Amino acid sequence: MTEKTTPPPRGCMIDRRTVLSGVAGLAALSSAPAFGQAAREAPELARMVAANQLPPLAERLPRSPMVVTPHERAGSYGGTMRRGLRGSSDHNGILRMVGNQGLVRWNLAFTQVEPNVAERWEVNADASEFTFHLRPGMKWSDGKPFGADDVVFAIEDCVKNTDLYRSVPALLTIAGKPVTVTKVSDSVVKFTFAGPYAMFLEQLATPLGQHVTLFPKHYCQQFLPKYNASLASSTDWPNQFRARCGDIEIPSRWGNAEKPTIDPWVITEPYTGGATRVVMRRNPYFWQVDTNGAQLPYIDQLVMNISQDVESLMLDTISGRIDIQDRHIDTLQNKPTLSQNMQRGGYRLVELVASSAQQCQIYLNMTHKDPAMRAMFANIDFRRALSLGIDRKEIIDLVYLGQSEPYQTGPRPGHPWYHERLARQFTDHDPKRANEMLDRLGYNRRGRDNIRLRPDGQRLFFAIDVIPTLYPDAVDTLELVKRHWAEIGVDIKVNTIERALYYTRGDSNDHDAAVWPGPGGLDPMLDSRDYFAQHPQGSRYAIPWTLWYVSGGRDGQEPPESQKRRMKLFDDARATADIARRGVLMKEVFDLTADAFETIGICLAVNAFGIARNNLRNVPEKMPQAWSWPNPGPALPQQFFFTT
Amino acid sequence: MLRFLVIRLVWMIPSLFAVSFLAFVLIQLPPGDYVTTYIATLAASNEVVDQNTAADLRNRFGLDQPLLIQYAKWISGILIAGDFGLSFEWQQPVSELIWERMALTLVLTVSTLIATWAIALPIGVYSAVKKYSVGDYIFTFFSFLGLAIPSFLLALVLMYVAAVQLGQEVGGLFSQDYVNAPWSFGKVLDLISHLWIPVIILAVSGTASLIRVMRANMLDELNKPYVTTARAKGLSEFRLLVKYPLRVALNPFISTIAWLLPNLVSGSIIVAIVLSLPTAGPMLLQSLMSQDMYLAGAFVLLICALTLVGALVSDILLALADPRIRLE
Repeated sequence: MTEKTTPPPRGCMIDRRTVLSGVAGLAALSSAPAFGQAAREAPELARMVAANQLPPLAERLPRSPMVVTPHERAGSYGGTMRRGLRGSSDHNGILRMVGNQGLVRWNLAFTQVEPNVAERWEVNADASEFTFHLRPGMKWSDGKPFGADDVVFAIEDCVKNTDLYRSVPALLTIAGKPVTVTKVSDSVVKFTFAGPYAMFLEQLATPLGQHVTLFPKHYCQQFLPKYNASLASSTDWPNQFRARCGDIEIPSRWGNAEKPTIDPWVITEPYTGGATRVVMRRNPYFWQVDTNGAQLPYIDQLVMNISQDVESLMLDTISGRIDIQDRHIDTLQNKPTLSQNMQRGGYRLVELVASSAQQCQIYLNMTHKDPAMRAMFANIDFRRALSLGIDRKEIIDLVYLGQSEPYQTGPRPGHPWYHERLARQFTDHDPKRANEMLDRLGYNRRGRDNIRLRPDGQRLFFAIDVIPTLYPDAVDTLELVKRHWAEIGVDIKVNTIERALYYTRGDSNDHDAAVWPGPGGLDPMLDSRDYFAQHPQGSRYAIPWTLWYVSGGRDGQEPPESQKRRMKLFDDARATADIARRGVLMKEVFDLTADAFETIGICLAVNAFGIARNNLRNVPEKMPQAWSWPNPGPALPQQFFFTT
Repeated sequence: MLRFLVIRLVWMIPSLFAVSFLAFVLIQLPPGDYVTTYIATLAASNEVVDQNTAADLRNRFGLDQPLLIQYAKWISGILIAGDFGLSFEWQQPVSELIWERMALTLVLTVSTLIATWAIALPIGVYSAVKKYSVGDYIFTFFSFLGLAIPSFLLALVLMYVAAVQLGQEVGGLFSQDYVNAPWSFGKVLDLISHLWIPVIILAVSGTASLIRVMRANMLDELNKPYVTTARAKGLSEFRLLVKYPLRVALNPFISTIAWLLPNLVSGSIIVAIVLSLPTAGPMLLQSLMSQDMYLAGAFVLLICALTLVGALVSDILLALADPRIRLE
């Protein structure tokens, strides 16, 4: 077994000794105030240390704390960062801000995985064994040590407990078998998979990879029958466990102020059903320091007010009562209002680079239940003709205020895997050619209203499902598409439906067609639903094929050869640790996707925006917006600070 | 009277059952279930739920079972153990969630009620007595204006003016310092200083309609012979008004008690949402939107029970206030 060591990045070379010698040096210099040298811990913590309520900084930090290079400059302590939450299902708004503390994390550019809780790691040759080196001396927010035992407990006792998780989360499973985690020493853990899993590190850096560091053994074991005999006869313990220890994506993760975490801020006023705000205060045991060795976070506390209504969140923003926000206010319609009020609210706009490829992907259901519709949508020339019939320039100018360019799908321009043909084919507006193609396909008869007739005499008509409350822009786009397609004799209905119905229709394969933003622009490996039938709720052009893929051929319908080839290539790519080799495999996938031309795109996904108050510094002016890169978390809010 | 009470109380039981079953069915009627809605909500922020987890959720909440079994489980829990179940979304007991919000809801509703009556009663009487005077026209104009303006719009406009023009903190019932502070004199003052905005907004539309009702009722009574008789006997105008026609004209006010109680929970939802008030209304709407069945079901059951009780109370009060009404 050959081992490949990932060298720690340059910034990590400062260890506790350096920090300590710095402190000692300071103390030795004089008893006079440290000239020009900033404090290494927050004043409130220093006071608590002086009053013997808290151990000194050196004992609270791990031996080699993670060193964060501040985005602009080292900051100063203090301040309250205000954000807004919505009343329901907005727990991920907290996760994005503080809960991004997995074993590894993404870099700012969203291209590379960097050390986080694990200071380094080794991967074996076939990428099935991962050995992580944790930071010795690291503590939970209650001061109890964090170590290999917690990681083993989280996976082996919690995630693999069938009463808690009937099936192990997909991210920790390969070839149908869950991972095995073993303790090598107090600060070394080994993850062993049943087969190669080269994408594991990237997956681990996403929010769904956080189970590993979610459950403190010393606290959560009291809710497990294995450790607490009094629960043996209880059937309610899984509910209790979830209520007290939470899970990655449920509100109760932020509903228990007692549960220790390793986040920069910890809950003091929890997110519960009746709450009107959530307050989090700094974690005195946070294990990261800046390049001067000063403990993070800089900011004392977070206050997140819960607005039931998005409009009142806008009001708070423009009157300067929100320090950093993009959630819920980042719609294109809000941009003019927010730009106008920049001065009054004292904030600036931060650009959020869309991680999606396509703003409004049209999925024609190629596995439609009606054979006539199925034959029509499955014909590649039909889809090409429809694509040529769209005037993308008009849509971009009218709906997206000129902020985009005609696009089909594929990694975004600038991504190393950008694929010109996949991205740009059939994006010209050429109604003449589209008409010729449709005539040739046998749709050459027209009805009274100039709409074409199918060979069986029916009007050429289908409905496109869209959720107006989620994507109002998609409705506007479709209205324009409807007009463009009427010119080539195709009639559609813009079927605006409620979101749960949208999903239900998709799940039961009842839709003619649907629209959704096409992901995979910055993270083509993490979401490939538009490159082949991968996602049972997302690849809406052929849900039954995705079921075939996910179930390993047991359910669904058998897809055509090109799809099967891509599924195989993607699985190979996912098992390949070497990025260059992975790129070669994915290039082949993109070639096949371009040949098959399954989805019809409109334009490149439009960048969104957020706001940050002018006195809040170290916020990157530009960052990705994604779920796998849960902005602003990977921009490290712990190093944000206030100038005034 | 006693017989009447007993019969009414006994009839409440089947009504409650029927309503609870209907509520349960209605909450389930929209396509999808809590898990679909949950996935869709997260998808709105491009967030993804692990596929295995989604299937688990449905199983854990029993959503894959037939409707009747789900209903039987829910209602038997309530009847046998008084257990309203666990909210899907918050993983907290439903009863805890509801009671948490009831106190402030009560304060808000009662203050609004008092404000509404305090404004509407005298103005209504004045407009009736001084019919077609300048004062009557002015009040009529404003009360029609109050009826016509949707209260949520008024809330948004007031909030905009207060927040952007005056730089005041709006929304909620407490300032930041007092939100989680224990109750004290300062906190009560803080509550009062925040309470007036929602009270005014909520009172405006209620006042307007009550003024109209009061005016119409008084006008009906003022021309009746007993008023003339009383006046002929030399009773002072004020005493006359308060003692006879006003008392009769009050009937519609007492009837409003019937819908006052359920309004505790479901009234003014939109205004409460716009103003971010920590009352029960927003939580009811939220639970309906996320198809959080047990929470929504408990709310609907509560509203239904309050409606029945409210109707009973107002019937009894009417009988007491107006001897012409018979209960049999």
